[in-house]
Amino acid sequence: MPSSLLLSTLSPLQAEIRQTSVWWLPRNVNMFGHEIDFIFYVILWITGITAVAVFSVMIYFIVKYRARPGVPAIHSHGNSALEVIWTTIPVFIFLALAIYGNEQWTQMRLRTPPADALPVAVVGEQFGWNVRYPGPDGKLAKMTASKVSKDNPFGIDPQDPDGRDDFTTYGELVFPVGRPVRLYLSSKDVIHAFYVPEFRLYQDMVPGRVYDFVWFKAEATGHFQLACNQLCGQGHYKMFGKLSVVPEPEYEAWAKGKAPATTAGSEANSSTPVAVAGR
Amino acid sequence: MSTIAASHVAEAHGHGHEEATGWKKYIWSLDHKIIGLQYLFTSLGFLLVGGALALLLRWQLAYPSTQVMPNGDVGNPMSLPFINPQFYNALFTMHATVMVFLVVMPLLIGAFGNYLIPLKIGTGDMAFPLINELSYWFFLASGLIMLAGFFVAGGAAAGGWTSYAPLSTVAAYNGTKMGQTLWAAGIFINGLASIMGAFNYITTIVNMRAPGLGFFRLPLTVWALFITAFLLLLAVPVLSAAGAMLILDLNFGTSFFNPAKGGQPLLWQHLFWFFGHPEVYIMILPAMGMASDVLSIFSRKPIFGYKAMVFAMIAIGFLGFIVWGHHMFVSGMNLVLSAAFGVSTMVIAVPSAIKTFNWLGTIWGGSIRFTTAMLNALAFVAMFVIGGFSGIFMASTPVNIFVHHTYFIVAHFHYVLFGGSIFAIFASIYTWYPKMFGRMLDETLGKIHFALTFVFFNLCFFPMHNVGLGGMMRRIADPTAYEHLRSLQPINQFITLSAIGLGFSQLIFFWNFFRSLKHGQPAGKNPWQATTLEWTVDSPPGHGNFAVTPTVYHGPYEYSLPGHSRDFVMQNEPPAPDAGSGSPARRPVHAG
Repeated sequence: MPSSLLLSTLSPLQAEIRQTSVWWLPRNVNMFGHEIDFIFYVILWITGITAVAVFSVMIYFIVKYRARPGVPAIHSHGNSALEVIWTTIPVFIFLALAIYGNEQWTQMRLRTPPADALPVAVVGEQFGWNVRYPGPDGKLAKMTASKVSKDNPFGIDPQDPDGRDDFTTYGELVFPVGRPVRLYLSSKDVIHAFYVPEFRLYQDMVPGRVYDFVWFKAEATGHFQLACNQLCGQGHYKMFGKLSVVPEPEYEAWAKGKAPATTAGSEANSSTPVAVAGR
Repeated sequence: MSTIAASHVAEAHGHGHEEATGWKKYIWSLDHKIIGLQYLFTSLGFLLVGGALALLLRWQLAYPSTQVMPNGDVGNPMSLPFINPQFYNALFTMHATVMVFLVVMPLLIGAFGNYLIPLKIGTGDMAFPLINELSYWFFLASGLIMLAGFFVAGGAAAGGWTSYAPLSTVAAYNGTKMGQTLWAAGIFINGLASIMGAFNYITTIVNMRAPGLGFFRLPLTVWALFITAFLLLLAVPVLSAAGAMLILDLNFGTSFFNPAKGGQPLLWQHLFWFFGHPEVYIMILPAMGMASDVLSIFSRKPIFGYKAMVFAMIAIGFLGFIVWGHHMFVSGMNLVLSAAFGVSTMVIAVPSAIKTFNWLGTIWGGSIRFTTAMLNALAFVAMFVIGGFSGIFMASTPVNIFVHHTYFIVAHFHYVLFGGSIFAIFASIYTWYPKMFGRMLDETLGKIHFALTFVFFNLCFFPMHNVGLGGMMRRIADPTAYEHLRSLQPINQFITLSAIGLGFSQLIFFWNFFRSLKHGQPAGKNPWQATTLEWTVDSPPGHGNFAVTPTVYHGPYEYSLPGHSRDFVMQNEPPAPDAGSGSPARRPVHAG
């Protein structure tokens, strides 16, 4: 059973092709996505109702106050009470949105990731993704932005004991469902961005920096496409990666099948589906 | 009183330079009206260029030249083979650059700012006519330099109009060293043109208003351009400096922005957006001011809450400088800073809301005349509302994590910049064309143009919200490269067809514009029965504008004043002896 599951994972990955509701949001599989979607719908309702109200009033005025012979316009320079009202109400609505949004932002970006989070390093380059996973020790080699180079995409110290059992892939990400994942994001050359709409997740990856604050927890399995969403050159439009969320045992089996990285590099060791399937 | 002293200055300037004649008039004229028209014609030309670039890039999105067809062939049979991914990147980069720097800014500020400010404040010309003319030539040069990028090795700049470093600053990464350098040089020179215009406008408005024309009697158009000039003066030098640094990084081995040599990529973003967000208001404030004037004229009503409108614009101008970080929520800058920018961004929505309510208040109780100008102004309000609302989604930091850099934001800024600024520009052209050329634009053609533009605009840009929510990234040359976006492709094709409809509808406008120069109905001095000073002089006004410097007795929006035979009172109309029959508060204040 696990091996057939393994094969199904590793056969050429198909991202979900949405057949229904193509005009709307894709499904959400990230625990933080619920809050994002909730705020999205709150704003949608507030703006939707306000838009209907504003356009109704506007159309009513346009019809009612169209020029007619013998009906002069009234002469009015305004109304201070109205100005106060329609200044105060938006102030409170916008401040409420800002405060609630910040609360969620803090949860998503400023809260320390759980200790059991799986650390995964993703380093962009023109035009692909270097990915580094921890081996059985569960620890990634320490990344130093200033050490990132052509031959050392993750900027690690080759002697770092935590890195000995790490393994790497190129453009292939597999996450266990239900377990927090903490990303370490950087770039070798220009700015790239880690974007997966089903995860409601976007983060720029700026060269010279390692971002370690992005974490998430996938709540459902599936196959998705990781997309670079920061213009990075002529190959930008096809800088995508495969991203799968699978049950934990399936993830463990997949990880076991990966050879540890013997050098700091990644491409040389990246496993192809064929190589692993033949194991 | 200082305004009287200023009026002498104004006269001195009005007649300080001789009227140029013949062909020289269009090359060396220092007359603000000629310079305004130079800006108008040049930017309308650039509008055609920017529009053509837009249609090409839309075609690629509907029928990608890189699409892998079901039979394995590469290239949609309908595609244009010369659009490769690099050229596509150049197309959207230059589309945005042309539209922002060579169309919307120069139309609003160069054309209408130059043409209307001296006329509306009752003076003969700008404070510095020679600098004014230099500003135009710098602007034209900047446009030609930027577009020259298409003809050099590597092609035009292809790093987006935001030109994020280090993609834009390292030739090995972008492959368009020459094009990118020309882009930055163009931005630098364009910035100089803006700065020259800005201090000219400020000096003119502060010093050369007609006697009696206090600041709170200025039409909102002038207020808007006045505030915009301050934004230009404070924001544009930052962009020019950043552009110079980009050139140095790209060509001369410095590394301001290159992390490989110790530079900071986020520095570029801070510099760019410190300019870039005030820039957003630079492109909408004059539109707000002019649309306000148009709404008032054709509702035959004073502006509702004139002072609230002025203070709202001042608030926007101020807050506009402390919200730039909202472009960088997901750039990895300090996360607490993002939270702070999130709050300031929500706050800046308030003055925009105030303005919208006051526009509704202005048409309330009016006697609305549905001229083409008025239809465009009403569309401006409606489209600005939609564009404002979609902005709230992105101002919310958590939602921004999801919609950032998707087509949702492409929809948003086109609702603000096309739905807002361009509709306001059309409203303004229909309103002031008779003043500029002495002839009316054709109303029937105008209404056909308006209806088609309004319908195609919404068909084109509204579905972009949906594909954005569906997860489609901006700036990708081929959405079919992504499996999860393939089911959105019919919507992309629909958007492209609507864009083509939108583009070709503009030909009606151009036809109307050029045909009416010769064949339009004669306009007379004041075809719209409007109140402000430009309507007191001939159409087009002669050199020096005013034979006698006017004296102002009234506010700019005295429409439908009870007890008057006409439904408008010109600003320079001396008060009748019995004009005090209304409420004392409204009694015109005599200028000292």
